[in-house]
Amino acid sequence: MDAIQQAHEQLCQKGNLSKALADVQQLLDHLQSTRDAVAENPDITALHMAKLKHPLKQAFDTIEDDLKEVNKGLNQYQKALKDKFKNSALPTAGVGESGVLARETGLVNRAIGMHLLREGKFDVASTFVREVNEAKQQQATASTASEEMDGVVVDGAAASQQWLQDFAGEHTTTGEGDGGDGNEDDESPMDSTGLGRGQLQKRFADMYHTLDALRNQHDLTPAIEWARQHSAELESRGSNLEFELSRLKFVELYTTTTSDKPNPSDQDDPDQNDEQPAFSGPLRALAYARAVFPALPPRHTRETSALLASLAFCPALATSPYTHLFHNQDAWEAASAAYTREFCSLLGLAERSPLYTAVTAGGIALPTLQKVERILTASRGQWSSVNELPVETPLPPGYMFHSIFVCPVSKEQATDDNPPMMLPCGHVLARESLEMHSKGKSRVKCPYCPQECQARDARRVYI
Amino acid sequence: MAEVPFTKLDPDAHLLLDQPLLRLPHELLRKNLKSAQRQIEISHKAITTAFQTPAAQKRPADALAALDATLAKAQSLKRKLEALNAEERSLHRQQKARIEHLEALHGIPSLADVQYENWAHTRLDRLLVDYLLRQGYVESARQLAVEKGIEDLVDVAVFEECGRIERSLRRGEVREALAWCGENKQALKKIGSQLELELRLQQFIELVRGGEMGKLMEAVAHARKYLVGGLDAEFGLRAGGLLAQPVETVIEPYRTMYSRTRYPHLAHLFLQTHHDLFALPAQPLLHTALAAGLSALKTPTCHSAHAVAVANLSGTPVCPICSTELNDLARNVPYAHQTKSYMEDDPVVLPNGRVFGRERLRVLNEKVGTGRGMVRDPTEVGGVVWEEGVVRKVFIS
Ligand SMILES: [Zn+2]
Ligand SMILES: [Zn+2]
Repeated sequence: MDAIQQAHEQLCQKGNLSKALADVQQLLDHLQSTRDAVAENPDITALHMAKLKHPLKQAFDTIEDDLKEVNKGLNQYQKALKDKFKNSALPTAGVGESGVLARETGLVNRAIGMHLLREGKFDVASTFVREVNEAKQQQATASTASEEMDGVVVDGAAASQQWLQDFAGEHTTTGEGDGGDGNEDDESPMDSTGLGRGQLQKRFADMYHTLDALRNQHDLTPAIEWARQHSAELESRGSNLEFELSRLKFVELYTTTTSDKPNPSDQDDPDQNDEQPAFSGPLRALAYARAVFPALPPRHTRETSALLASLAFCPALATSPYTHLFHNQDAWEAASAAYTREFCSLLGLAERSPLYTAVTAGGIALPTLQKVERILTASRGQWSSVNELPVETPLPPGYMFHSIFVCPVSKEQATDDNPPMMLPCGHVLARESLEMHSKGKSRVKCPYCPQECQARDARRVYI
Repeated sequence: MAEVPFTKLDPDAHLLLDQPLLRLPHELLRKNLKSAQRQIEISHKAITTAFQTPAAQKRPADALAALDATLAKAQSLKRKLEALNAEERSLHRQQKARIEHLEALHGIPSLADVQYENWAHTRLDRLLVDYLLRQGYVESARQLAVEKGIEDLVDVAVFEECGRIERSLRRGEVREALAWCGENKQALKKIGSQLELELRLQQFIELVRGGEMGKLMEAVAHARKYLVGGLDAEFGLRAGGLLAQPVETVIEPYRTMYSRTRYPHLAHLFLQTHHDLFALPAQPLLHTALAAGLSALKTPTCHSAHAVAVANLSGTPVCPICSTELNDLARNVPYAHQTKSYMEDDPVVLPNGRVFGRERLRVLNEKVGTGRGMVRDPTEVGGVVWEEGVVRKVFIS
């Protein structure tokens, strides 16, 4: 990188057109002064003109040299580039089978549209949807205009364009407003893709509104509202979100004194007003706790008890054993993250943008794949299996999402066609291995322990 | 069980996707220099000839006229060089930003570092803009680049021009493409491109198409000027043959030559040539990276009939390939190669065959509020509840 950097600096300092420009200016000056001289002293025009001849030639020689200097700089830069990238040919898309994704424009576009939405780039997303739609219409008119034009790079696959409906605003969804009870599109919970039609954009907009309130304004109301609406779904997933938000609310109430709030005029006890401002927060927190905590699932009882116990320690909170519940700067970030996670997974979506994860994983895996592809091409080899990459592409932690079962006998990964089977002894191998192993025998000995069993006693397990 | 995590960041290997990022501004600088050279050549010639007339050397009036003309030419050269110099400066600025972006990678200690994440985010944005531009979604591309502040890392103007010319060819116009060929004449010669010949041939075909005598003569003149005497005699021959064929001919290659499909073909050829010339990959790099990433992440579980619904999983991050965005897209790519099983610690199996790490099973059951001494499959909403004793250890090597 240093050589490139240096070559670049060289270009900025010397390898550019400013020198040539200055020399053109000089030429201009020279021409101008000759013109002035001729105008002033027309008697010796011939002399002036003769005197101009040589400098004129020289000026252009100099300018051409200036350009040579630029060219030299560019050559140096090119050399630095070449050295830097000497081992890497331009990668070709689609490992092995080239251009798998080129035929899936619709799906790629869908992934991009969803990515933009989850990044909160709503403006870009809507421009994108508009442009995709326009291109689609143009394509349609173009193909009807002349059937001959079976486009060279045009892709069809109208079915894969259906995602566009997910992005359509409510105004384009049909059959809304009549509120009929047979209408599945209204309040559509989930369709096969996990998303109601035309709901995607709105949902993400809601998510961003809620996140903004939570993270930036420390306003819990929209998040709590959402959690309450989805209480049952969250609970069946064992989510802690509702509890975490309630706890934050409790802390917020606890630590806010009345002076922070507009003082209601119907305060009829002046004593309380004067003497116990420090207690007004805890009192409101207590009221909140009594209203909300009992409805939380029993697994949170210990923690809610701890929160309530903290009331007893007021106002010496800093020294109380419950101080950690309060002085937690990350609590808002954590709540935001938990909210995002639950929100996305209720929609069947990963918490982080899958497009980001996949492209980044791709960047990490590419050098390895590239190398293998080079070797395979050189040896005219073929992958042993088209279903599986030919080499391991190790990824950093955080990129593993499923358990993996590799059969200890065949070294093959289990699939639906060749699933993992557990023998009564608890050892697991792939079904094909088991079949090979038990061929023609009534009883099978486990390859990993002395136990014997019948092949039909083996059970499929789901790893 | 616990493996050494793979977090090593080898910047040089990692920059595989980024070569075009540095190549393009460089190629544009070359083009810029070529334009400057051409301008200077033209001015040089013009100025020298202006002084060559003997009269200009002696008669004051003629001399003044020659000088004024020359001054005007030099002025115009100056203006052109100024414009090229400004373009050059902006290219240098782009170059600097790009070098810095790639340089940043060299300072990042590992793939697990948060700095790497930021870097990779910027790269994704770059690849997205590139993809959008290639698809012709210029407005989206521009907007995204501005919102992310990566204008210097993307090539909106280049693709905009490229798209404009491509579309003009698809409409059946060759003028803009020819102008582009003119601008890049030397570079095109260097790579042995036949784009210009093909475009000239198309003009010839259009002249012949009507079969009208005057046009045919014009076509002959056109062919003499542009199509014969070149390196490729084939063009002259094809042109000659076409003169004898009516539009409705069924004889090849003339039938194809008259066909309207030549325009999409020319558009395609133009794109190819354009990308070649500017060292741009033929496929969007987003495809390259995404295809590799889909495979590297994909497991046989991701499209298994027995996969657990994403919405039913809690406490574990959702797999990006299982997520709606990518699931269909990843269906036809190969899955990652694995040589070892990868399992949570202390795996146990439930009567329904699902395997869990013992600790996670306990935590999940606690979360969904299964009673003491009981257990259920937490991925199954409202599933069967068993006695804890049914949980069996499973051995996975
Ligand atoms: Zn065994
Ligand atoms: Zn998956």
